[in-house]
Amino acid sequence: MSAQTLAEKMISKNHMGINIASVTIGVGILTFPRSLAKATGAFDGWISVVISGLCACLIGWLLAKLAARFPRKTFFEYSSIIASKPIAYILTFLVCIYTMLFVSFEIRAIGNIAKQYLFYNTPVEMITLSFLLIVQYSVVGSRIAMLRLNLLFLPVVLVVMFIVLLFTTQLFEIENIRPFFSSDWRSLLAGSKDVGLSYSGFEIILFYTMLMKNPQEGTRAVTLGLSIPFLLYMTIYMFVIGVFSADVATNLTYPTIELAKEVEIPGGFFERVESIFFTIWIMTIFNTCAMWLDITVLNLSSMFFNVHKTVWVLILSPVIYFVAMLPQNLVDFFTFADSVTYFGIAVVYLCPILLLIIAILRGVKSNE
Amino acid sequence: MMRRFLSQRRQKKTPSLIAQRLQQRNDPTLTLSTSLQQNMETFKTVLGSPHDLLIRSFTIGNTKHSCAVIAIDGLANCDMLDTQVLGQIQLMISTASKVVPTEPDEIVGMLYEEVLSVVEISKATDLTKILEGILSGDTAIFVDGSTEVIIVDSKGWKTRAIEEPVSEGLVRGPRDGFTESIRDNTVHIRRRIKDPNLRFEGSIIGRRSRTDVIIAYIENIVDPELLDEVRRRISTIDVDEIEESGFIEQWIEDDFLSPFPQIHNTERPDKVSGALFQGRIAILVDSTPMVLILPVTIGLLLHSPEDYYERWIVGSLARLLRYLAAFLAVYSPAFYIALVTFHPGLIPSDLAFSIAATRDGVPFPAFVEAIMMVTTMELLQEAGLRLPKPIGQTIGIVGGLVIGDAAVSAGIVSPVMVIVVALTAIASFAIPSYHLAIAFRMIRFFAMLMAAIFGIYGVVLSLIAIMIHLSNLTSIGYPYLAPLAPHMPKDWKDMILRAPVTFLKTRPDALHTKDENRMNTGGS
Repeated sequence: MSAQTLAEKMISKNHMGINIASVTIGVGILTFPRSLAKATGAFDGWISVVISGLCACLIGWLLAKLAARFPRKTFFEYSSIIASKPIAYILTFLVCIYTMLFVSFEIRAIGNIAKQYLFYNTPVEMITLSFLLIVQYSVVGSRIAMLRLNLLFLPVVLVVMFIVLLFTTQLFEIENIRPFFSSDWRSLLAGSKDVGLSYSGFEIILFYTMLMKNPQEGTRAVTLGLSIPFLLYMTIYMFVIGVFSADVATNLTYPTIELAKEVEIPGGFFERVESIFFTIWIMTIFNTCAMWLDITVLNLSSMFFNVHKTVWVLILSPVIYFVAMLPQNLVDFFTFADSVTYFGIAVVYLCPILLLIIAILRGVKSNE
Repeated sequence: MMRRFLSQRRQKKTPSLIAQRLQQRNDPTLTLSTSLQQNMETFKTVLGSPHDLLIRSFTIGNTKHSCAVIAIDGLANCDMLDTQVLGQIQLMISTASKVVPTEPDEIVGMLYEEVLSVVEISKATDLTKILEGILSGDTAIFVDGSTEVIIVDSKGWKTRAIEEPVSEGLVRGPRDGFTESIRDNTVHIRRRIKDPNLRFEGSIIGRRSRTDVIIAYIENIVDPELLDEVRRRISTIDVDEIEESGFIEQWIEDDFLSPFPQIHNTERPDKVSGALFQGRIAILVDSTPMVLILPVTIGLLLHSPEDYYERWIVGSLARLLRYLAAFLAVYSPAFYIALVTFHPGLIPSDLAFSIAATRDGVPFPAFVEAIMMVTTMELLQEAGLRLPKPIGQTIGIVGGLVIGDAAVSAGIVSPVMVIVVALTAIASFAIPSYHLAIAFRMIRFFAMLMAAIFGIYGVVLSLIAIMIHLSNLTSIGYPYLAPLAPHMPKDWKDMILRAPVTFLKTRPDALHTKDENRMNTGGS
């Protein structure tokens, strides 16, 4: 405890990048090829991935700039410097609601997918609850330890993804990806919007910059952090279309997992690779969840600092669980997911950018 | 939590129990007097005239000045007393090369300066100090009329010979192990590190046991903050006895709720000197061969000194094998339960059928079957440990026969379960440190329970939970998963793989050593 130097309690640029990559790679990556194939109807969806990737990078860059103006300050603190206390209260509160809903979404997604690929009798309620308990356990511990888990789990997840892609190369049919450039720009833009939802997550830079050794490096961390999901999305989309063709991909609920289903490990040691794949994937969804819950707690404690972290986790968990159980079926669930993301776009992208503009106009900077 | 707990304790050194008792009695006879007779009586009262108390009275010189020697029989080396102390005194008198003074204080001075041919010798007037000396093997020489007492270091009790460490065998590497004598142990380390910066910082802990404890480190390598923290934690120890280094380990560890050991113990001097060279600290405790090494990471606990002695390919492969063993030791029964109970579809169909066929007629669910077998394995292991060696082998035979054959033919467990349990046991024996293996054995039950409830999903949840715990865990404030989380890419050369020695140019980054380079890397 005391012997650990301050520098080690802070996070480096690369670590921040990996945090952003882990929070971005979550449930979205499992479903986005479907919506993208539906919107563009062809292989050209990759252009949408590029467009939305660039947009995400730009927004992320702006958010990092905002956070870097106020080193060692929480979101609540710097928004109250920029735009008075009452507005900061409202904004932070909205952010808390957003991040909390995001946790609900993720844990429900775990429940749904696990139910589909792993369990026959176990109820979704129990699957979700057990996952939420693990997330609680991690958030109650130290924050830096929770963030270090990203360093452990992300490589594992990427390696598993790589193996899946490696084994599906033989199923790749060049016929499926033709014709090129057949979609019009409208559908490409619509597709970009759909992929854009899967990029959400990099906004954690707003809240975690205060833990960075050098907050000015936040912009580079965002670029690094977004380049990993960007490459992953590109490859996965190409493979999904190459293996299934756009028409089939439109009708698959979780195309990425279905991709794993096609894998046959030589030697026949494992069958049904998709179950293994999803099981490993739980790790990264866990990381996403833990970070979102932690940010909720972080923001709440920045507003009401005399309430202990554990208390917040205990108060929030039943609410999160209740909200997660509200959607009755998959259609409900995806509607819920979309509305959460739209809410998020307003709260964590538009408002902070507005804050940045105000900050630049008023010339507000931290005293440090 | 632990820290708060520690800081609440008194920081000041408590006086020894002997001193306390002397103060409590407040008896005028319990101070040193000039009368030899009275002093002898005092000692007899304080010590209660034990059977092993040696008092030898003699006279010096022409004046027949009476003197006495007090020691504890067995603790003091009598041969040495005969030749170097009494022998020298007698010799002096018989040859009469000196004129023996008549004043008592002068006699003491002469004995101290000229007569006694002993290196470690001191004078004392404090009764408690003398008593402590005698009780740890010193000899006190009293001269009638003087309150000054000469204390001769005559420690010389029987110790065990140096033997090969039983708990940590190696194929390649030195064969010597630590013994119960702290002096022998410091010699082991000193012989390997002839650096003048090697420090042995001694202190005495335990109100009644007065155990010697030594903090060993290399001055210009170790992180000063680490050293201060270790000193601080050791200074908080206030307890009657330190019977083994485990007492100290449990007192200063970071998290007493964790199943994982946060301080390493070893009886291999080469391991300790290696750790000191890396910038770690060792704690030696008298009367135990187990030396503590701190701080540790989970990687260090899975390493063996042999990894460095063998060529790097061998060392790296051995390490990979051990990481695999760690995984199997914790998770193989859990995977069996998960696959058989929840996901028979994951097993290739032919295998799934044959497993189902062997399980046909087994009356218990896989979880109960696994719990029974794993518990039996634990029982065998524990029983084999306690029994004397010749009978211990019998346990192996009986256990092997009962588990391997009878249980299967009786239809209690399936043969696949036997394979899984055997694999688990073998894997847990491949882990080089016993205390880490115990931690894995405990976690195994947790993983099995999770697998029984949630199948393979539960297995992953348990893995995540353990990782959360490990990530939160620290050893004297240093992260337990050090080179992996936090990322320290420089240290990866010596983590899962062991790079060739010429590549290991620096000490571990995680330890913040003062002197980072291990070799001359060219340049200045």
